[in-house]
Amino acid sequence: MKNLYIIPLSLCLLLGAGCKKFLDQPALGYYSDEDLFSNDATAVTAVNAAYIPLTFTDGAANPVWVLGDVASDDVVIGGNAGEQADYTGIDLFNILPTNAAVQSLWSRYYNGVNRCNVVTDGLTAENTKVSESVRTQILAQAKFLRAYYYFTLTNFYGNIPLRLKVSALTDAPVTASTQAQVYTQIEKDLNEASADLPEKWTATSDIGRATKGAALALLAKASLFQKKYTEAAQFATQVEALGYQLTDNFSDNFNSSAKTNNEVIFSVWHTRGAQPSQGNSLNYWFAPRSLNGAGVFYPTQSLVDNFESNDPRLDLTIARTGKPYFDSTFDVSWSTTGYLSKKHIQPLSEVPSTTKNDGNLNYEAIRFADVLLVKAEALNESGQPAAALVPLNRVRERARKNFSGTAPADLLPSVTNTDQAQLRDIIRRERRSEMALEFQRFFDVIRYGQAYAEAVIRPGSPNFNYAQHKFFPIPQTELNANGNL
Amino acid sequence: MKLLLPKKYIFLAMPFLVFASQAQEIPDTLKRRQVQTDTLKKPAAPPNSPPPSAAKTPVVNPADTTGQGMVKGIVKDEKGSPVPGAVVQIRGETTHVLTDPNGRFSIRLPKPTSAIQVVFMGYSTRIVRPGTQTNITITLIPASKALNEVVITGYSTQQKKDLTGAVATIKPSDIDNMPVGGVDQVLQGKSAGVSVTQGTGAPGEGIAVRIRGIGTINNNNPLYVIDGVPTPSGINQISPADIESINILKDASSASIYGARASNGVVVVTTKKGQSGKARFNISQYTGVQVHGDLIKMANTQQYVAAFNTAAAADGRTQIPADLAAGLPNVDWQKEVLKPALVNNTNFSVNGGNETGNYLVSANYYKQDGLIKNSAYDRFNLRTAVNSTLSKIFSMGMNLNLSYAKTKQVGASGDGFGDGNQGASVMRYALLRSPGTPVFKSNGDYVDLPENPSFFGDGLNPVGYADNFDRSYNAYSVLGSVFAEANIAKGLKLRTTFGGNLVITDFKQFFKIWGSDRSLNSPGSLARSNANQFDYNWTNTLTYNFKIDKNQTINLLAGSEAIKSRTNGLSASRSIFPNQSDNFQYLDNGIGIQQNGENESRWALFSLFGRADYQYADKYLASFTVRRDGSSRLSPDNRYGNFYAGSVGWRLDQEDFLKGFEQLSMLKLRASIGQTGNQEISNYAYTTLNSFVGFYPFGGTPVIGNSLTSRGNSNITWETSTQTNFGLDAGFFEDNLQLSADYFIRDNSDILFANPLPPSAGGGSSPFINAGKVRNQGFELQISYRKTLSDDWSFDVSGNLATLKNKVVSLAGSPIPGGRIANEYNATLTTVGQPIGAFYLIPMEGIFQNKLDIFTHAYQGAGIQPGDVKYKDTNGDGVINESDREIAGSPIPKLTYGFTGNVKFKSFDLSIFFQGAYGNKLYNQISTETEGFYRAFNVTEEVATSSWSGEGSSNQYPRLTWSSASSTNNTRPSTRFLESGSYLRLKNAQLGYSFTPKLLSNLKIASMRVYVSGQNLLTFTKYKGLDPEIYTSSNGQGDGVRAVGIDWGTYPSARIYTLGLNVNF
Repeated sequence: MKNLYIIPLSLCLLLGAGCKKFLDQPALGYYSDEDLFSNDATAVTAVNAAYIPLTFTDGAANPVWVLGDVASDDVVIGGNAGEQADYTGIDLFNILPTNAAVQSLWSRYYNGVNRCNVVTDGLTAENTKVSESVRTQILAQAKFLRAYYYFTLTNFYGNIPLRLKVSALTDAPVTASTQAQVYTQIEKDLNEASADLPEKWTATSDIGRATKGAALALLAKASLFQKKYTEAAQFATQVEALGYQLTDNFSDNFNSSAKTNNEVIFSVWHTRGAQPSQGNSLNYWFAPRSLNGAGVFYPTQSLVDNFESNDPRLDLTIARTGKPYFDSTFDVSWSTTGYLSKKHIQPLSEVPSTTKNDGNLNYEAIRFADVLLVKAEALNESGQPAAALVPLNRVRERARKNFSGTAPADLLPSVTNTDQAQLRDIIRRERRSEMALEFQRFFDVIRYGQAYAEAVIRPGSPNFNYAQHKFFPIPQTELNANGNL
Repeated sequence: MKLLLPKKYIFLAMPFLVFASQAQEIPDTLKRRQVQTDTLKKPAAPPNSPPPSAAKTPVVNPADTTGQGMVKGIVKDEKGSPVPGAVVQIRGETTHVLTDPNGRFSIRLPKPTSAIQVVFMGYSTRIVRPGTQTNITITLIPASKALNEVVITGYSTQQKKDLTGAVATIKPSDIDNMPVGGVDQVLQGKSAGVSVTQGTGAPGEGIAVRIRGIGTINNNNPLYVIDGVPTPSGINQISPADIESINILKDASSASIYGARASNGVVVVTTKKGQSGKARFNISQYTGVQVHGDLIKMANTQQYVAAFNTAAAADGRTQIPADLAAGLPNVDWQKEVLKPALVNNTNFSVNGGNETGNYLVSANYYKQDGLIKNSAYDRFNLRTAVNSTLSKIFSMGMNLNLSYAKTKQVGASGDGFGDGNQGASVMRYALLRSPGTPVFKSNGDYVDLPENPSFFGDGLNPVGYADNFDRSYNAYSVLGSVFAEANIAKGLKLRTTFGGNLVITDFKQFFKIWGSDRSLNSPGSLARSNANQFDYNWTNTLTYNFKIDKNQTINLLAGSEAIKSRTNGLSASRSIFPNQSDNFQYLDNGIGIQQNGENESRWALFSLFGRADYQYADKYLASFTVRRDGSSRLSPDNRYGNFYAGSVGWRLDQEDFLKGFEQLSMLKLRASIGQTGNQEISNYAYTTLNSFVGFYPFGGTPVIGNSLTSRGNSNITWETSTQTNFGLDAGFFEDNLQLSADYFIRDNSDILFANPLPPSAGGGSSPFINAGKVRNQGFELQISYRKTLSDDWSFDVSGNLATLKNKVVSLAGSPIPGGRIANEYNATLTTVGQPIGAFYLIPMEGIFQNKLDIFTHAYQGAGIQPGDVKYKDTNGDGVINESDREIAGSPIPKLTYGFTGNVKFKSFDLSIFFQGAYGNKLYNQISTETEGFYRAFNVTEEVATSSWSGEGSSNQYPRLTWSSASSTNNTRPSTRFLESGSYLRLKNAQLGYSFTPKLLSNLKIASMRVYVSGQNLLTFTKYKGLDPEIYTSSNGQGDGVRAVGIDWGTYPSARIYTLGLNVNF
């Protein structure tokens, strides 16, 4: 009889002996840190991930258009009273640290930073499983992207946490680094990236990855923003030497069929019909409601007035009464200012209203015209106004070419003024027209200084106070969880 | 005898072996207890079976029937039949007599004040005081209705009188005929310290069961053990009609034997078994109608237009023209969406058996339509239970429950924020929609965007929204267990149980294009998914019960348990359906984007456990438990946790010094302390994981991106709940008045929580840490009283109440916000010294009455006008900002209570059941819109008519304005929208009639009862929302217990009227 209960008892014993294994359950479908960087193919996927936060697949999650343009004098927020309260707050400078746009941009771009840090942490010198060539180019891309994210972050928020490693629990609360410290790191990353990145990617499936030109162009901008004019001009010249050209057709920069033109230095790619969506939702956010858009992005009269008379870029940038809105007729009731953006929008023939937020326009994050204007500004500020005229007039010349029909004789004449102060204003005006609605305006307004910023922003937003508003507040969610700020 | 145990287990088995070597024979009392235990499950024991104890006790010669103090009598059962073989005893003495075949007895009464005690198997002991009477009739009440029942505690049974832990018991009679869908719902209000809240009133909605408060920031669900199968979710798969008993193990000493997953208490569910005898059939049926309860008084069209125009005039906006206003309809949107609905329950069962086995087969169909169209819950159950005695030594049995449940969902809570929820609440849109907008256009289409959205808003048409909802879950499940038991020697029993739970969930949601204006942006699409989960457990126990000497009894238990779970999910979706009709809602018919996915996860637990119960002379009781648990979720280095518990009890009523108090039938003091573990965290929490985070289209060709998705922490270890419990059980007047009181302190330490990292740390979930300590303490009281007034009249009442104080004692890292109520704005804060998920808001102080008031008050921002809301400058810095937030109450009730009353008169019975909560707060988020009035959404009648209109007019409702500065100020999340959540609800009232046996015997029917019942008949509350019984909204699910009690416009509970029938034959 005793044998009868020995059977189950010995089964217990077996279970006990096997229980160590019984409790080892692998994480199915996940890579450990080691796995991810154990070969070239998966290592590349880690840097791919670092590009994703740049996209506009969700315009609310990447509100760089709100902080970059709505906050400036170029755009006001649209929609019915009471809607989009947080974006209205940005527009009118009633900005709390809980503001949705302020929080979303911060999270989104730091998410990008972290994905870059996953790459730099994973590809340590000891890692020999990934080939040297792949390792070099992945690291260089990650450094470029990290610099790009930090450049945007420090210009919006000022002194910010500088994270260069994946944060563990213990080092998660960090103090803010000064903007100068952040810039030092940006320059370090970009210098390293520009040394290793190719001038051009040969495979079609690599087009859109960071290039040497992109790193140098961002170095030029970073230098300019720090008022390091000599360096800015030098970097811009290095970019020029790489063979970039202004496209004859200005709107090729905002055309889904001309994505790989020579003016592109770094663009954020989108594609239609993919799942999960990789489309550009700005096509929805900026389109009028009667065409199934959200209709919240209205260019101001002030921006329209900035365009010199007959500037062909005006009607390629802004939709207005009497002019076609792609394949529809513009209706003045679509916007309280009477204007809508034509940049970031596609005709219904390309993106039907049923899939409005799945556009396939790229966002031209850095294009050659920008670099030329950086160079013009850098040269003028460094006391070489005559030299500054060259890149400036290249931009004006291209604009002139875009006039349809017979151009009037006085259309966008080449600038000859070499008075530094007057030329400064001319370059600023040119930059505002050329780069309009490309989310650069707030950066420019703020770096032009208090007098300029208050002069242009206060008419639309009396609350604006340069000292208080040149940077957006550190988001409340960050303050809540980071006791060191 | 010797037991062969591996060395590894000797430490567990040591005490067992010591006692085992002394024990030669199973003592008789123990045997009796076992028999009693068995018999108690069968209240209808054959009346001619003598009590096993009778043979060994001295018997007074029944012939001696003369002399002074002799009392004669007859003992009858509840049906009036004589009971032979009952033990009739003078209370406090050992001498007794047995009733004869006619149920008659006679016994000598030593004193006129002496009491006679009648004991009979299967019936509760009756005590009567004949006084001067010499001929009495004693009617016995079946034991199943008495409180001296058997309680199923860890892997075994105990009699309630021997319990040393805090265990609450719910019997079928408590829950019969309640028109509720799930077993967890019937727990509500029935026992002290067990709080049950349904997420919303939608059919099939999840239920939050909280035993003794909220112990942790992660999972607070109790562990359910259904016929020996531990299952966190299986409770939803069985029918309430199949329940034999529910025992809730509240304190650690009771629960600790279940170790892992028991830290939130254990609900032990036993399903019905077959009973010996010929086949018995039961049919029960109820059908009812559900209607809505009290609605929120919203403004009518005239009031809305007036309010709108007042605000428009104040702000300089266009007013609604009088001619337009005159032609508007007046729609009550709440009534448009809440329509009467059906509830039906049909149950059929048959059971029977003989000496060697028994069987039970039951079938149940429950159907509950929702008040809102396209919400419903249907469930089919088929259950079989078979037990068989194979030989003197072996027996085995099987339980199998098959179920199919279909839940149709509409948006029931929340505003649709976040992924994966069912969408914004239909009620929310019903409350927002202006009354001046018609439901349908003249051509029969839904009015989608109102013609003048600036006047009438842009919220969805709730009727169209609900009508086009198509979201359903089909859950197919098999829950069952087989066991084999060997009675190896007297008192030594080995049992092995294999339990399994397979659940296949089939999900479908079809997003229809139904509006004319705005759904165009999202093409019709179909989402399907299928998840299959298989959990199994293999449990082995060895029990040994023996008596050391006359007074000492020991029960020992040792066991092992292995649990493994595997879940696999598949999903697929397609967009653009040229044909949207039901017949074409299949993936193949979508012509747009296709998407699919798959994932799988596994976890395992392995445990060893042991328990020793010691009893001395029925007076002193002690119990000790040890359990060692290993979890796959923790790092191999920290995988195991050891948990101990002990308890003692003292039966004071058995002491000589209390023998004189005859009113006192029972008095027991209990004390216990113990620990349990908790590992309810993500499956691979100890390790960092990278996975797919999206695509990026280089050159137009999407490529995969993999990055950090989950940060691991290899140092995490078991969360431990330590609970101390002091209890008292008392019975008076022959147990007619019973009282049970408990005081507990429950400390959850090393709480496992993924404390949020700052957003600047980037994506990937935060690592789990052992984050802190939470204390729950409370007092629980249960009282019941029953009385039989005459043969016709009897009644019983019972009540329970529990207090609860919840406090975070320590917390690593920053305080944790939770419960989003606006963009990036959280209503609650979990911080040291406060309850979990306490509301953290700026206090509203009143309304600015005049300009001076504004100037003299702390600065609230530019553009504030008289009539705007005034906030309290709590930190006194002269500026109102986020630093003025303070803890403003908690969604956890301070007091929960329930009351049940039953009255019987002849064949009629009446029962009522009240249930309530006191001292909690609810954040009425929907009031931000319906009282905040900052855009064209409807408002409450009170706001439309009683808002501030000049100095002194209101200190509660600000002026009507949409100006940016004022409306931003006035709708700011604050205590303005925080309300008391206290309520008292008449949960159920029932009136029944049982047909007399005489009438039924001709029809061969054993018993038959008809009844009418009403559910949620009355609610007393100050809460202004639709239903004070709310829990987490779909918005707050990610935040769990940190987002409780936020009302976004919740699907209300229905008021239900049912008619039912119960037949046994």
